[in-house]
Amino acid sequence: MDNPENVLIIGSGIAGMEASLMLSKAGKKVYLVENLPIIGGKIIKNEESFPIMDCSTCLVAPIQQEILQDANIEVLTLSAVEKVAGKPGDFKVTVRKKARYVSLEACLGCGMCYPVCPVVLKNEWEENLMDKKAVYVPCSGSLPNVPMIDASQCLHLNGKDKSCNKCMEACMFAAIDFSQKDEEFKLDVSGIIVATGFELFNVQELENLGYGKYPGVYTAFEFERLFASNGPTEGKLFLRDSEKTPDSVAIIHCVGRDEVGYCSNICCMSSSKHARFIKHNLHDAKIYNIYSDICLTDKSYQKFFDETKSHDSEFIFQFDRKKMNISKKDGKLEVSYFNGKETKESILVDMVVLANALRPSDTIEELSKALEIKRDSFGFIETEPSKLGSVETSRPGIFVAGCAEGPKDIQGSVIQSEAAVAGILSMLDQ
Amino acid sequence: MSEKIGIYVCECGPNIASKVDIEKIMDEIAKLEDFKDQELVVKRHKLLCSNEGKEFLEKEINENKLTHLVCAACSPRDHDTTFINVCKKTQLNPYLYRIVNIREHCAWIIPDKEEANRKAIQYIHAGMNRVLYQDSLYEKELDSNPDVLIIGGGIAGIEAALNLAGEKRKVFLIEKEENLGGKAVFLPEQKISDIQKNKNIKVFTKTVLDKLIGFMGNFEIVLKSTEKPDETTELLAGAVVVATGYEFFDSKKLPAFKFEDKDNVIDSLEAERMFSENKKITLKNGKEPKSVTLIHCVGRKEVGFCSKICCDYMLKIANYLKEQSANIKVTHLIKYLNLPYKNSQNFYDKIKEKGVEFIRYSDLSVNGTKVEYTDINNKKDMLESDLVILAPAMIASKDSEELAEMLNIDLHETGYFQEVHQKINPVSSTTDGIFIIGSARGPANIIDAMQQAKAATGKIFTQLIPGEKIIPEVMVSEILEAYCTGCQTCLQVCGYDAIYFDDERGISVVNEAVCRGCGNCVGSCPSGSLRTKHFTNPQLYQEVKEAIR
Ligand SMILES: Cc1cc2nc3c(=O)[nH]c(=O)nc-3n(C[C@H](O)[C@H](O)[C@H](O)COP(=O)(O)OP(=O)(O)OC[C@H]3O[C@@H](n4cnc5c(N)ncnc54)[C@H](O)[C@@H]3O)c2cc1C
Ligand SMILES: Cc1cc2nc3c(=O)[nH]c(=O)nc-3n(C[C@H](O)[C@H](O)[C@H](O)COP(=O)(O)OP(=O)(O)OC[C@H]3O[C@@H](n4cnc5c(N)ncnc54)[C@H](O)[C@@H]3O)c2cc1C
Ligand code: SF4
Ligand code: SF4
Ligand code: SF4
Ligand code: SF4
Ligand code: SF4
Repeated sequence: MDNPENVLIIGSGIAGMEASLMLSKAGKKVYLVENLPIIGGKIIKNEESFPIMDCSTCLVAPIQQEILQDANIEVLTLSAVEKVAGKPGDFKVTVRKKARYVSLEACLGCGMCYPVCPVVLKNEWEENLMDKKAVYVPCSGSLPNVPMIDASQCLHLNGKDKSCNKCMEACMFAAIDFSQKDEEFKLDVSGIIVATGFELFNVQELENLGYGKYPGVYTAFEFERLFASNGPTEGKLFLRDSEKTPDSVAIIHCVGRDEVGYCSNICCMSSSKHARFIKHNLHDAKIYNIYSDICLTDKSYQKFFDETKSHDSEFIFQFDRKKMNISKKDGKLEVSYFNGKETKESILVDMVVLANALRPSDTIEELSKALEIKRDSFGFIETEPSKLGSVETSRPGIFVAGCAEGPKDIQGSVIQSEAAVAGILSMLDQ
Repeated sequence: MSEKIGIYVCECGPNIASKVDIEKIMDEIAKLEDFKDQELVVKRHKLLCSNEGKEFLEKEINENKLTHLVCAACSPRDHDTTFINVCKKTQLNPYLYRIVNIREHCAWIIPDKEEANRKAIQYIHAGMNRVLYQDSLYEKELDSNPDVLIIGGGIAGIEAALNLAGEKRKVFLIEKEENLGGKAVFLPEQKISDIQKNKNIKVFTKTVLDKLIGFMGNFEIVLKSTEKPDETTELLAGAVVVATGYEFFDSKKLPAFKFEDKDNVIDSLEAERMFSENKKITLKNGKEPKSVTLIHCVGRKEVGFCSKICCDYMLKIANYLKEQSANIKVTHLIKYLNLPYKNSQNFYDKIKEKGVEFIRYSDLSVNGTKVEYTDINNKKDMLESDLVILAPAMIASKDSEELAEMLNIDLHETGYFQEVHQKINPVSSTTDGIFIIGSARGPANIIDAMQQAKAATGKIFTQLIPGEKIIPEVMVSEILEAYCTGCQTCLQVCGYDAIYFDDERGISVVNEAVCRGCGNCVGSCPSGSLRTKHFTNPQLYQEVKEAIR
């Protein structure tokens, strides 16, 4: 075994972070590869986590900080794994790292560079609900708190105006570095954990729900960002592009469930969480949760659900998900649904939140090819069927954890990540 | 030895430097009346946390032979550890250093520069007061035992044993029944023989826990036989895994469920066992049923939670019946269908194609095999079938309460064991070194139970490394023997069971290896004989008196 001390972790959500810290504690050198310029994954989009309704930042920021300060963990942001050769105990990994154009060592995160940049863009991390500049951090509180420059949009880097040096002039720490180049390098590792998480189902596929057509219709993540105190509205529930708050909201469960072919496991709870948030902030708002089944995966979830149902929202059963329709009526949104085989009902609301299904992350196809590991019929990474109850993939030495394996909540992701650590350490011990 | 305090003010780039007048602050600090007798070194640096800043600090401590250090910089959340690590490279004990946050507390929040200066000076002064009263503390190393005790020999306990046992780690697996295997019907036989073959696993059947004392790395354990309670075994282990499984809620306790043993009303586990033994589910008279009603969520309301896995296995039982004979009429009475596993939806669609019916009920009553129900549209109806199969709620094993007491771990309000942090530390109990897995932690299927067993393995692998010492918290509490009256009030408030009573001396004593330094006990002691190291009254008083002046 060449490098029994090195482990590669792909994806820095809660699953990847937990595994990194544990392996570092066990004395391993960890390479943590993340696509985005920041670490933390999807939970940092959430203001609060069900069911305890802890502040999510308070939950993960200490973990993010610990990772960044841990000398055993090398965080490679803006990076992707291109190829993995070799065998368990001796993998040769090719990683491609994109240039950030800002020095991680020199930058202090003071934020002086963004206001001066003349290029205004939509911030996808904020679900396009706010703008960003060509030099930006995805959200306030980003960790590492170091901006990146979008090379295709920056006037200096894309050549539209070579004389633009505004960010560089504003930076008192000489941290802007246009000379950075994309890099490719090789890592020697003995084991790998894939923790690339999930994305949300594209609700535009369902024309009957009116997303994109009616501004009052939101996705689950858009709603999470409205709810976030570091988000586009600083946690105020304003309807799109206005300062008006909704009087009534319909939260639709199981959006895309039939299309993806499975229950997404967390959206009954996140939809209950959303109902609570609305009620706590807009006491007089009328809230409806339109569900077809209720999925509660933890001993503590029923209580949370029951409380939401009795205090915050009216739960309405929908018989046939495919027959739901959302349209415009009297300046409001009309949500019509079947509550029995033949009985159609409707409600009028100002805002609709779609609890879209979870699906595998965008990069998973490419990544699974690079790693030569199998995926299941839904596209998630498959655990090896002959190793019941294990989190090892079809390729020995490569493990999977968190939503990369299938939809689950935070604790479910952490459990798999701890199980993957056990798998790696058992393997290295032999 | 005369004291020499180093005070280093960080500019944090423009963050601090542009919002306060650092020169003025340094001047005022150097002139402080009450530090006339101490030698002061007051300097500034543009970025103390940078590599260059850390090297600067290290050199300053060594060259000036500082006896105390104050860093006026940012939040301790950001860089307390950074500066502690610098101290560790030098002769200066890290507990003789203090960070003072003049960024978040002054520079960033006070627009008036004069006011910000004043507060920064006051805070640094407070830090200097405190640091003079601080004591050196030293980390102690303790030997630790890597072996593990596993309680419960179901699939969760078995999987944990197989994963944990190795050349350098022995496992003791105790099971109160005669055989290993627990309640899972399709348990891979292979696993049990692997356990028996493994020389690093010692199995004790018909055995339960009698007593446990100690702390992570050093638990002293007494086991007793369920047949001969005086027969005890003593052993040592560093960690404990609790895998005592689940039980069914007793459906006969529900007033709406009236049936007797002779009736063709059985629970899901009976159906499951029947099928695994005879490849058929039959009536009490041995005949095959023509119609079967499957009732979900039995006792769900009473126990207050959804059992997570029963919808899934009820679909499986429906499939058995349809495979047994496609003509059996199978009807599910459901509340909601809970299908959290990714392949369940497909399976459900398949079952529906086979003609299995699903009715949503809001209320029902059972009278033998006659079931009267109200559906969700408030329509009342009745179903009479040959056989009724119940899915009773899954509750924690009845031993949980007693075990929780013995192990000093918490129970959740549902009766299952409680995680120390539900979200980010889900298989650790509320006591260090004790882990909770499988259906003892909450409803779980076999895969869940096995993954949790591996998760606990991962935790133990990284927390109890064979041959490595453990370093307990140093900022712990201590009891000053001379003042302790032996009232034992502190024993009641300590959530970690870290204090014991010494009968001989008639005083309470803190077990430093267990104490977490939470300070609970300090406030409770009527004679003032408790103190938490690094947070003593004089230290806090010296700091606060200046900070609030
Ligand atoms: C609307 C909503 C609300 C939720 N609220 C809660 C809640 O309140 N409580 C709760 O318990 N759970 C909640 N969840 C579920 C929770 O978000 C997930 O359990 C958790 O984020 C899963 O963590 P993960 O590490 O598996 O994946 P992720 O958080 O998705 O992290 C994966 C990381 O991998 C990176 N990545 C992806 N592909 C690659 C690649 N090819 N190379 C390198 N890096 C890559 C991603 O950028 C990301 O940083 C919610 C989910 C949704 C959709
Ligand atoms: C009808 C039915 C069908 C199911 N079908 C499936 C299925 O198809 N697939 C699937 O994945 N899961 C299925 N399950 C779930 C599966 O049975 C459980 O996940 C599994 O049994 C949980 O294992 P465990 O080790 O946590 O608990 P258990 O199996 O309950 O084992 C616990 C063990 O601990 C012992 N014990 C208890 N107290 C003590 C004590 N104080 N001291 C010492 N020992 C003690 C018990 O005697 C027992 O042996 C089904 C469950 C039911 C009810
Ligand atoms: S060079 Fe100009 S356009 Fe490019 S990021 Fe800097 S300020 Fe923006
Ligand atoms: S690049 Fe410079 S200006 Fe921008 S945040 Fe970093 S230190 Fe501040
Ligand atoms: S968790 Fe709830 S909302 Fe999400 S798919 Fe499952 S049943 Fe539907
Ligand atoms: S899993 Fe299904 S049967 Fe079991 S309690 Fe939950 S909803 Fe009821
Ligand atoms: S400080 Fe806390 S943990 Fe320590 S003995 Fe006192 S109460 Fe117990």
